Amino acid sequence: MSLLSLTWRNIRGNAFRSWVVFLCALVVAGFALSTTLIMRGAENSLRLALARLGADIVVVPEGSESKVETALLMGTPATVWMPQENMQKISAVPGVAVASPQLYLSTLHDASCCTVPDMFLVAYDPATDFTIQPWLKRRFGNDLKLGEAVGGTHIFVPPGEQNIKLYGYFVSLKGNLEPTGTGLDQSLFFTFDTARDMARISHTRAERALQIMPDSISAVLVKVVPGTKPQDVALGILHAVPGVTPIESPNMFQAYRKQMAGLLKTTLALLTITWALSVVLLGLVFSMAANERRREIGVLRALGARREYVFKSLLAEAVLLALAGGAAGIALGAFTIFLFRNLLISSLGIPFLFPSAAPLLVLVGGGLVVALVSVTTAALVPAYRISHQDPALAMRE
Amino acid sequence: MITLHEVSKTYRLGKGSVVNAVCNVSLEVPRGEFLVITGRSGSGKTTLLNLAAGLTQPTQGQVLLGGAEIWRLADREQSALRNRTIGFVFQFPSLMPSLTALENVRLPATFEASGRGNGSAARAAELLELVGLPEKAGSYPRQLSAGQQQRVVVARSLINRPELLLADEPTSDLDEKTEIEIMSLFRDIHLTMGVTIVMVTHTSQLICYGTRAIEMAAGTIRT
Repeated sequence: MSLLSLTWRNIRGNAFRSWVVFLCALVVAGFALSTTLIMRGAENSLRLALARLGADIVVVPEGSESKVETALLMGTPATVWMPQENMQKISAVPGVAVASPQLYLSTLHDASCCTVPDMFLVAYDPATDFTIQPWLKRRFGNDLKLGEAVGGTHIFVPPGEQNIKLYGYFVSLKGNLEPTGTGLDQSLFFTFDTARDMARISHTRAERALQIMPDSISAVLVKVVPGTKPQDVALGILHAVPGVTPIESPNMFQAYRKQMAGLLKTTLALLTITWALSVVLLGLVFSMAANERRREIGVLRALGARREYVFKSLLAEAVLLALAGGAAGIALGAFTIFLFRNLLISSLGIPFLFPSAAPLLVLVGGGLVVALVSVTTAALVPAYRISHQDPALAMRE
Repeated sequence: MITLHEVSKTYRLGKGSVVNAVCNVSLEVPRGEFLVITGRSGSGKTTLLNLAAGLTQPTQGQVLLGGAEIWRLADREQSALRNRTIGFVFQFPSLMPSLTALENVRLPATFEASGRGNGSAARAAELLELVGLPEKAGSYPRQLSAGQQQRVVVARSLINRPELLLADEPTSDLDEKTEIEIMSLFRDIHLTMGVTIVMVTHTSQLICYGTRAIEMAAGTIRT
């Protein structure tokens, strides 16, 4: 009979003890994976959103920073305006390589003229855009025509329809962008011409007309000249253009980052407490188990089992239970997060993107390691003690 | 076979109090002997048996098993020596509850990496037949009576063809009929296999099974 076989028989032989260890490993690994998954998913989402914007600086009307950030991150529509002439002023600031204006619009709520209520609409200028156009070129080889749009990953044409109706205007969905886990996934992108055409048509076909402030834009995305510091350019914009706030890319979504940092602190504290409690509980379980099995272990030693064999056998039990419990906890944690990801986004108010296979595997491995280390740490001292005890003493009641 | 030279064992019970379980005992057990050690509870006979088996370290004195001073050996050699040379029968139920009777009998053969475990299933089945329990090979200890469990323990003690069998009150929990059966088994093992046996008992009627008897009192050998 091999060591593993004996270990397996011992696991089966004491169902209560085995279940306690299994459940502790499940809780530790599941909780560790879930919290890491949420934090990594949120971080990943922010990173992808920034990459999608592709701008070094986003210039928005003064005081509207959080509105725009919320719109971009959570898909809550925002309509903000600043004079169109700001665009020329920003372009003239030293260090600015490209500046591209955008219009932020919204569909109507509960109106039959809009297929989707409260959808964030982003209109861009094809002449200067560096956010959507490169993707379109790569994907389709050409730009969007009048009446065409690309959507975030969650945008689709309603079943039975051929187009998406916005303000009574039919928009043809040309494709979908890759997911970011942010509001951009629920946003629709089209050109300035389409936006203006939609506004024109809406006067006759929509329940309420689409209002685009004349000679106004919502934001300007800026790329700086390579080698130039974005903060220097942002300072230049601040001085040259009154009534705007330039947000440097690394400082984007600061409110969310703070919220996430707070959440991270809380979850880390909870994780540490759960881990410590589990290790203490496991330590107690293993100590009790070792005590309960003193005589059995004494007999094994008397029959010729080496200290090393007994120690290995006890640790193997812990490792097997940790792996099984850890794997179950990880599967349960990942499945729960996947199932309730939308609820998570709305309740925690943070963006979230479920990781792809490779990073998920790393997290799974991490979760297993946490379970393994916790259970093994708890089992180490009782296993060492009992395996090194005098066999005659171990066999005495 | 076993030599104990001026061996003592003292247990510390805390707060400075000590118990002298075995005091300055010297004993020689030659090969082929069936030694019965009697004495009252607490006289030190189980401690003496544990000292002889190398299951507890003497506070002073020497223990030689087959010529080797057991406490000079490393754990690996000491365990191997016990595994190869000694078969144990304990007073308490000592079968592994998660293993079947056959697996319990095989167990000592699997501790050594010498490959002796390979043919142990057939030998274990033979031994179960020897102790009269061939049909109980697949039964778990909880499915066996106390007498049957003790027979399985006897079978287990013989799996590695030991030269020495140490039995600590092997019949204390058994009824009279089963006691006779187990003791007859020991006598057969001694006579047919030539195994040296050292048995501890508080029942003086069992002296007749041995070739020599000694009595212990207060940690010393009286006769």
